[in-house]
Amino acid sequence: MAVCAAIIGKDNSPKYFTCINPDEELGFQYKVLSSLDVVEEKLNNGTKSGSDSRELYLGLLYSLERHKIYGYVTNTKIKFIIVIDSTNTSLRDNEVRSMFRKLHSIYADNVCNPFYIPDEPINSKSFDKSVKNIMSGA
Amino acid sequence: MSSPKDETENAKLREKFTTPTNFKTRALFYNEADPCTDLENQLTEFVNSLFWVLESKRLERSREKLERVSLLLAPFEKKDFVGLDMDSRNNKKRCTGRMTKHLGDLCLQAGLLSESITYYHSAAETLKSVNDWLWLGAAFEGLCASSALVLYPNIQRNVSLHRNASLPEGSPKRTNSITPSVGTVRRDIINMLPPDEISKKYREAIIHYSKYQNAGIIETEASFKAARISVEQSHSLQAASFLQNVVFINLTLSEQEKIQRFETLSDLYVQIGFTRKAAFCQRLAATRHVSPQNPTPNWNKCYTLILQSFPGHKISLDPTEMCHDNQPSGWPALQIQLLQELVVAAKRMGHSALATRHMTFLLQTMWLHLSTSEQKEFAIQLQSLSSQCEGAPVPLVLDSGIVIPPANLSNVPVCLGFSLRNLQPHLQPRKIETFKQDIGPFLFTPIKFGTLERTNNKPQSKMDFLWVENDVCEVTLKLVNPLPLELKVSNMRLLTSGVVFESIPETVVLPSDTPTSLTLNGTPKESGELEILGYSTHTLGVKSNCRLRYMSNFLPSYSIEVIPILPTMEIKTSLPQSATFSSLQNFENVVTSASISLYNGESTECTITLTNNSHVPIEMIEVSIQSVLEASLQDQIFKWSQENLESQLPLMPNGTASLTLYLYSAANFLTSGFGPTELSSGVFGSSHGSSSIMSMSAGPSSLPSRLNSPVYSAMGSSFHGARRNELNSSFRSSNSGQSSMTTAGYRSPGALTLPQHATTAVVEGQLQLRYSGGAGFQAGYCRSCSIFITLEMLPCLQVTNWDVLPAETSSQFYLVLDIANMTSQEMELHYTPTKHMLIESHESCRIPVPVNRCPLSKLTKLYMDQNSITNNHLDLDKICSDHIANLVDLRWQLLSLNTKGKATLKGITLTPNMLDIVRMSPLNWEVSINGDFLKPQEEINCDAGDCLSVRIGISNSLEKPLQQLVLSVQFYQDHRNGTHNYKLETRVVIVGCAKKVLPILEPQSKAWHACSVLFLTPGQYKMDIKCCTPDHSTTNSSVVGASGHSWRYIPVVDVNVNI
Repeated sequence: MAVCAAIIGKDNSPKYFTCINPDEELGFQYKVLSSLDVVEEKLNNGTKSGSDSRELYLGLLYSLERHKIYGYVTNTKIKFIIVIDSTNTSLRDNEVRSMFRKLHSIYADNVCNPFYIPDEPINSKSFDKSVKNIMSGA
Repeated sequence: MSSPKDETENAKLREKFTTPTNFKTRALFYNEADPCTDLENQLTEFVNSLFWVLESKRLERSREKLERVSLLLAPFEKKDFVGLDMDSRNNKKRCTGRMTKHLGDLCLQAGLLSESITYYHSAAETLKSVNDWLWLGAAFEGLCASSALVLYPNIQRNVSLHRNASLPEGSPKRTNSITPSVGTVRRDIINMLPPDEISKKYREAIIHYSKYQNAGIIETEASFKAARISVEQSHSLQAASFLQNVVFINLTLSEQEKIQRFETLSDLYVQIGFTRKAAFCQRLAATRHVSPQNPTPNWNKCYTLILQSFPGHKISLDPTEMCHDNQPSGWPALQIQLLQELVVAAKRMGHSALATRHMTFLLQTMWLHLSTSEQKEFAIQLQSLSSQCEGAPVPLVLDSGIVIPPANLSNVPVCLGFSLRNLQPHLQPRKIETFKQDIGPFLFTPIKFGTLERTNNKPQSKMDFLWVENDVCEVTLKLVNPLPLELKVSNMRLLTSGVVFESIPETVVLPSDTPTSLTLNGTPKESGELEILGYSTHTLGVKSNCRLRYMSNFLPSYSIEVIPILPTMEIKTSLPQSATFSSLQNFENVVTSASISLYNGESTECTITLTNNSHVPIEMIEVSIQSVLEASLQDQIFKWSQENLESQLPLMPNGTASLTLYLYSAANFLTSGFGPTELSSGVFGSSHGSSSIMSMSAGPSSLPSRLNSPVYSAMGSSFHGARRNELNSSFRSSNSGQSSMTTAGYRSPGALTLPQHATTAVVEGQLQLRYSGGAGFQAGYCRSCSIFITLEMLPCLQVTNWDVLPAETSSQFYLVLDIANMTSQEMELHYTPTKHMLIESHESCRIPVPVNRCPLSKLTKLYMDQNSITNNHLDLDKICSDHIANLVDLRWQLLSLNTKGKATLKGITLTPNMLDIVRMSPLNWEVSINGDFLKPQEEINCDAGDCLSVRIGISNSLEKPLQQLVLSVQFYQDHRNGTHNYKLETRVVIVGCAKKVLPILEPQSKAWHACSVLFLTPGQYKMDIKCCTPDHSTTNSSVVGASGHSWRYIPVVDVNVNI
């Protein structure tokens, strides 16, 4: 079960942010923002190696005392971040990966919405609902 | 060392800085301002001595036997070895390993890298076998350190030392410049770790350290070192993982140390390019500075650290960069929190100006990301902050040298509209002379040359109107207060550049969320190009310069041309103002109005007072009138003296001038003065008919049966015969009627004869005044204002019908007029100098006015110029009409109102038959019967069978010969019922020729014709004597047709033949 999920645009500005406990949102925002450094570093390395078929899933970005932060980058440089409680051992790499895939697919659905302007913050309620579902592992 | 002259001073200093006696140190003193020539040498010596100390220690230790050494212990290890067998083989090994490691340390410190590597390597081997984890870690770390030193001799020295000007040139080279060669030499040292092994070994060492709770500090430092090496190896992620590990190490550190740890972390994160992470650490360090656990809170440092973390959060201190670039890459929620913390820090620092500035910045840049309640909350916070120190749009410089750029509140209030206003129409400058531009033969072309831009709808920054120096100019703003509370904005001014502009401050209280329009006034003090850049506000205690350039939806600036000073003028009239303006075009520059009612023919004066209320003399005034009337009529109604006005110029400041406008109610007094088309309309035709019927039936039978009117003039010459009879009849009948008319006039019964169309007419005109003076006049500009004049013209006197009758003398004729009094007052009408009569209200009466006949001298031109015949009739008509209009002087007076007026008969139309009476005949007649000259209007009485010898003489009074004249005598009988009997063969016999052709009649010459007449039967006969000229168009034909002009002997002679 994820505690926080974020979608970050290619200019590293937040497009969507949600977490289970709204009171901790600001703290999570700090954590997710700092994790972007790692994402960028990984992306830079990736381009250096010149691999075209890049793996979208970046894996564990870094772990904190209480949380683990995972990253995923689409080919259009949209970043997905999922924060998971460290105590939760049931979630393995594969589960996280599938969460990201689901997230990517509903994001793609949202972008397909003609009323959504790409690169705008996402306010869609149904999108929010779907993300919450993914986070809760449903 | 210092120079000799400062010796005494140095002695004092030496006393002050004397080192304690137990220090085996040598103090070196340098004067602050002196060049330290031997500083580097001294330091080299110092380093050298350090080396020798270390070297001696190393040699001392290496001489000891490894088997004999005592166990080296870390301070916290003491209790771990209590009760252990110190002589066991294991322990001996441990002692050896630890000592080997220590030797390695000494070698490393002494700079003997290869030796240290050897020692560390063997120490690691030894210690591994005895599971001495702490020291094994230390050995690994040493190994890594030495290897790194060999591989990266310049590690962490990438920032090369800049030689200051104070460092002398000739000083010895720094050591690091020679190490690279050493490094390359020693690449092949055995047991040296390859680059990627270093971090592995470090990781191992850190793992070993982490097994000891007390080794936290060492672990932390090892992590930092490992991170630095990873930085050097450009393995950012690896470095990041080492740094991440630092956070997990559980250390009981003082707040100060914690801060230091975070600062180091952020420094290293910056080095690997993890600016966000660095910013995160900086913020943590900042919070530690002021945490409740910190015994010595330091808000200054906290503030500095927060400020340093800004780049990591994409916050630029310049609000224009934040707003304008529109780069939403920052995380608003975090930025808001950081800025709030910064405000608090600045406030706690006691720097309220900074706090105000940052709060303003927060409101300005984060406005869109704040909720309504937050906006309100922050606005109130800002207000309370600014009460301590007002915000001003000037950069603030911190002690650290950081410049905080000004923050301007352009969101509170929001400006929705900004537009420059043209001056009021009557103050707008206009070009005195407008030259027609030569635009070539084509008036319009859809092709725009030189530009592909087809749309011209874009807002222009350059205004197409002008402002005038020293005039109050306006800019209107539309402001909205987005806060849920009332907002007072004071001291609003315009920001300008270019010419000097004096802006008048405005204060406005804006209700919540209601668009409010505001006008900012100002006065340009010079002429030239003025640029309007924005406006300044003072709200919530913050002064802001809101520049349009930094606001969305506006052009960066507006520019407008300011022309030199022009005078202004105040205008008053002596007449009351009019209640309404009509739809007359172009009346926006009307400054005042005047209205008056006048009876037709009445005239009055209107005094217009012009006051110069500026500081510039008025040098030029032009007066003109504009109305929809035709020019000649307009000139009749409105008159003024331009000369009189010009004589009063120049009009000095506060001076007054007066202009008298003469108003005359010029109307057409003639009812029938209409064109033929109008006359043929049913209404008028019937009214005319009825009037004639009335006059016929009610008047005495001797009155003219028909008052001639131009209705008949419109009919063709086919009526010629009939007309002739009518005319005769009218003449004849008027003979008896005249006496009564001249004495008492004729009053028609009832109002039926009153023209029905005579109604009040309203004439509207604009008296336009163009005036200028001063520098603006030199530049070719003037102002234009106008007075709106409403003139109500009341109907007064109306000539409903007219006719002409021959008078007793041949030099005069009678103009008979039917005059109606259209007013509700009794009117006294003077129609000749001696005669007058009273007309009741809404009554009409008939008056005969004796008028001199139109002299031939006025007509000679017509007769002389035979060639231009086309307009002959019209010209003749006009000359005669003017002649009548000039001579007839109708003056009326309304007795009860004491108003006087004058009526003219201008435009009176005459039929050709009337014309013959009106003008003098060119032929003078002399008719004698039986040798006696016939007097005018004399009747001839004779008996049947008498022979009358008629002798007719005609003389030409024109100045040119008349050609082809046909003189004829004809007799007829008038049955007085409209039929004339010309068939008199059985009654009249003419002896001799009835006709005579005169080929030419020279001027002043006379021609004679004689014949005799014998009346066979008694009765009343008429003798018609006439002289015809052939039609000019058929000059050569001998036929004397009716189409030619004919003159008659007037009146027709009556012959009464008795039995």
